[in-house]
Amino acid sequence: MGGILVYVLHYEGAFNKNSLGAVSEGAKLAGELGTTCDAVVVGGADLTNDLCATLGTYGAKRVFKAEGAEGLAQPVVDVMAKVIDDNSHSYALFGGGLLGFEIGAGLAARKNAGVTMEVTGVAVQNGALVAERPILGDSQISVSKYRGDLGIIIGRINAFEIKETGGGAAEVVDVAVDYSPWSNQATMVQRGEQRGADVNIEDADILVAGGRGLGKAEGFQLCEELAGAFGGAVAATRAVVDAGWYPYAAQIGQTGKTVSPKLYLAAGISGAIQHKVGMQASENIVAINKDANAPIFEFSDLGIVGDLNKILPKLTEAVKAKKGA
Amino acid sequence: MSATSTGIGKSNGKVVPAAYPPPVDSPQEFVKRGLDSEDELIEVGVAIVGGGTAGLACANRLLQLLADDPDLMERLGEVPVAVIEKAKTCGGHNLSGAVMRPGPLQELFPELTREDWRKEGFAFGEVTKEAVYMTPTSKLGVRIPVPPPFKNHGNEIVSVSALARYQQRQAEEGGAYVLTETSATQLIVEEGRVVGVRSGDKGRGKDGEPLGNFEPGTDIKAKAVVLAEGCWGHLTGAAIREFDLADGREPQVWELGVKEVWKVPRPLDRLIHTVGPWPAKISGKYGQVGGTWLYPMKDERTGDDLVSIGFVIGLEYADATTSPHDLLQTFKLHPLVRKILAGGERVAWGAKALPGGGYWSMPKLSMPGAVIVGDAGGMVDTAALKGVHHCINSGKLAAEAIYRGLKNGETSFEPYEYMIEDSLTGRELYEVRNLRQPFQKGFLKGGPLVNLAIATRGKLPPGRLAWHRNDEKPMFIGNTYKRYPRPDGRYTFDKLSSVFITGNATRDDAPNHIRVQKHVPREVAETWKWMCPAGVYEIPDDAPETGPVDVIVNYTNCVQCGAITAKGGRLTTPEGGDGPLYQIT
Repeated sequence: MGGILVYVLHYEGAFNKNSLGAVSEGAKLAGELGTTCDAVVVGGADLTNDLCATLGTYGAKRVFKAEGAEGLAQPVVDVMAKVIDDNSHSYALFGGGLLGFEIGAGLAARKNAGVTMEVTGVAVQNGALVAERPILGDSQISVSKYRGDLGIIIGRINAFEIKETGGGAAEVVDVAVDYSPWSNQATMVQRGEQRGADVNIEDADILVAGGRGLGKAEGFQLCEELAGAFGGAVAATRAVVDAGWYPYAAQIGQTGKTVSPKLYLAAGISGAIQHKVGMQASENIVAINKDANAPIFEFSDLGIVGDLNKILPKLTEAVKAKKGA
Repeated sequence: MSATSTGIGKSNGKVVPAAYPPPVDSPQEFVKRGLDSEDELIEVGVAIVGGGTAGLACANRLLQLLADDPDLMERLGEVPVAVIEKAKTCGGHNLSGAVMRPGPLQELFPELTREDWRKEGFAFGEVTKEAVYMTPTSKLGVRIPVPPPFKNHGNEIVSVSALARYQQRQAEEGGAYVLTETSATQLIVEEGRVVGVRSGDKGRGKDGEPLGNFEPGTDIKAKAVVLAEGCWGHLTGAAIREFDLADGREPQVWELGVKEVWKVPRPLDRLIHTVGPWPAKISGKYGQVGGTWLYPMKDERTGDDLVSIGFVIGLEYADATTSPHDLLQTFKLHPLVRKILAGGERVAWGAKALPGGGYWSMPKLSMPGAVIVGDAGGMVDTAALKGVHHCINSGKLAAEAIYRGLKNGETSFEPYEYMIEDSLTGRELYEVRNLRQPFQKGFLKGGPLVNLAIATRGKLPPGRLAWHRNDEKPMFIGNTYKRYPRPDGRYTFDKLSSVFITGNATRDDAPNHIRVQKHVPREVAETWKWMCPAGVYEIPDDAPETGPVDVIVNYTNCVQCGAITAKGGRLTTPEGGDGPLYQIT
């Protein structure tokens, strides 16, 4: 049994949260398999040895570091293919995201390996990894096993939880790679933010989400004020995004983003299943709705039946007072 | 021209949906005059629009004939047969009861036994016992003798969704190109003849603007086009208009069926139909004529005992608060049903409109360069609740007519029409040609005439009974909705969680494919809101109680049942790949 190799994305000297989750998951699985978890990074001068070594905190044993273009898939495919060839890893693991999908797909083609995308859980079965992937609009789970020498697992955003293992510094191994002629044909011209996303709702610990019950686009002001007081971000349902009240980047649900904040405060959201699948993993769910029969109350930790136009401002005040105190 | 200013749209003070027609210009939008240049189009032999039961039966039969005729196969070019299917896979948008007369499928695949059908996973057992009930109230069930059209002994329970997947595999093995996730948006006509279809654009935004992944559609040139779009047929509608195919016929009328599949702890030992009046209203004022089914399904591959349960209602009803989805939920509260489903789990849901006009409402089935098969051509016997075997039969006959036509270098496939008339499809549909119309007078008033038609095997009533258009029925806001249970999420379900289990995941920023007027009288808005099984139409909470309201159209919920076309709107083709992904409906 070879080890698990995890791709870690970084930007301006900080590692991506989903990548760190993937390292934690990889370390946990490696423990169960009786093997080790390594990480691979590709980038420039901001990838210092000290920075790379911190991945040990999340359970990485070795960190393979290659100099190469950032934010592009093909160079990483070259690096990962070489590291896997030299070190006989049995699995490649990604935390998700478009770059992860692209690298994973490229690696699958290069190594003739099986790939599963949008994975939400990985388990050890008979000494091998099996990946669970929700299908049919998340109503069913399909389970993938891998044949051949390499299995590629690409997580859904936020699927893997970050855990510090208390491990020490990881060993940093420099890798020299002969890039394929096509790999450096593309260059990064500009790094743009997703439209409308000034806050990344996937990373927020506290989300205040608004639905049709806000009554009008201006209702989001109440959400923004409360989120501001909390130091959280604002999310929205599909219905209000459709109605043009809030940008798509903030949409939670089946066709939007999947989030799992510590606190999810749902204001004027009925809680149809299409919304629920995007936020049900939240640690604490608080719902405010004037309709006591709204389905959201069936899966809230705390439900308030009432007028959000009155409740939200008071809540904002209370939070501010508490924080100020 | 505004409907309200001219006074049409009101009938005895009531509102008629037809007065608020959808903003559609069919000849302009859905018919393309002339093909693109040769290097921009795809050329195929036969283009079949719709990979359902009928379209694939046509593909299956054509490929059988072409397998024995390499010369013609060669002449049809690189792509002898193309099937254009808008769902993610064939069967994804197919839904029916379904209890099928086995003959036509046995003829289509003579080497397959019925045991093979079950092993392939699309058939679920032969009907050996059956029962018909009247349900006068929510508690009572009165068993009645099985009326002759309902006799199902020896028929097979099938899933048309699973059947289409099987037919797709057969077609592909035979050399067909099945273009899934592709909608056919325009009929291409040159010099009075259908010469192909145009596939839909992909990657357009809400306002039709091309997004980063935009792919334009393509002209698909064909020697023959088969319209097998089911109900409602987008190009079929355009063709009927373009070639006057409904000239001298009765208007088409529609019904809407909502279905669930349940996994149950104890097998159901018989096929059950109920003929109402409950859960519909008996009074003629409501115009509700509906019935239900409960079919046992044994899944031989998993050993599971399943039950197909559904409710069908004619869309000629008058109470705007009629909701077929909620009436099915209501029906499940009947003790007769509870007994069967108790301890079970819902595994599938779906909804689909079907043509209900029968013989007199069928359009002319051929036009230069093209034919119409299956539900698109209205080949449903709503007396016997049968259409699947007519779909297969018509697809097969269309293949034979096209094969002969192409062999002889002809562009007219008119002989197909006579082949249908002379086949079991023509004979069976003729026999029940006048059977259902009397119900337009209501369940009680129409009953005796229906019985007369059954008793005389269609000889009486004589002549041709007319149909009234569904969208010309005056609508009122009644109280049918008071019957609907509050969904508990375990035994009864709301619309959105039902849509969810269809696997529907329409892209949020796709263009709206549903054409309706958005500022309409409350009666029309309520009609759409309640009728739609997928919760597409919403009336804002703060809308005025009387007078016109603005309708919110959540088109991404749409499961493409087609009912809106019967009641004042128009379903057009969405982007290919959108909509539900039915598995076992």
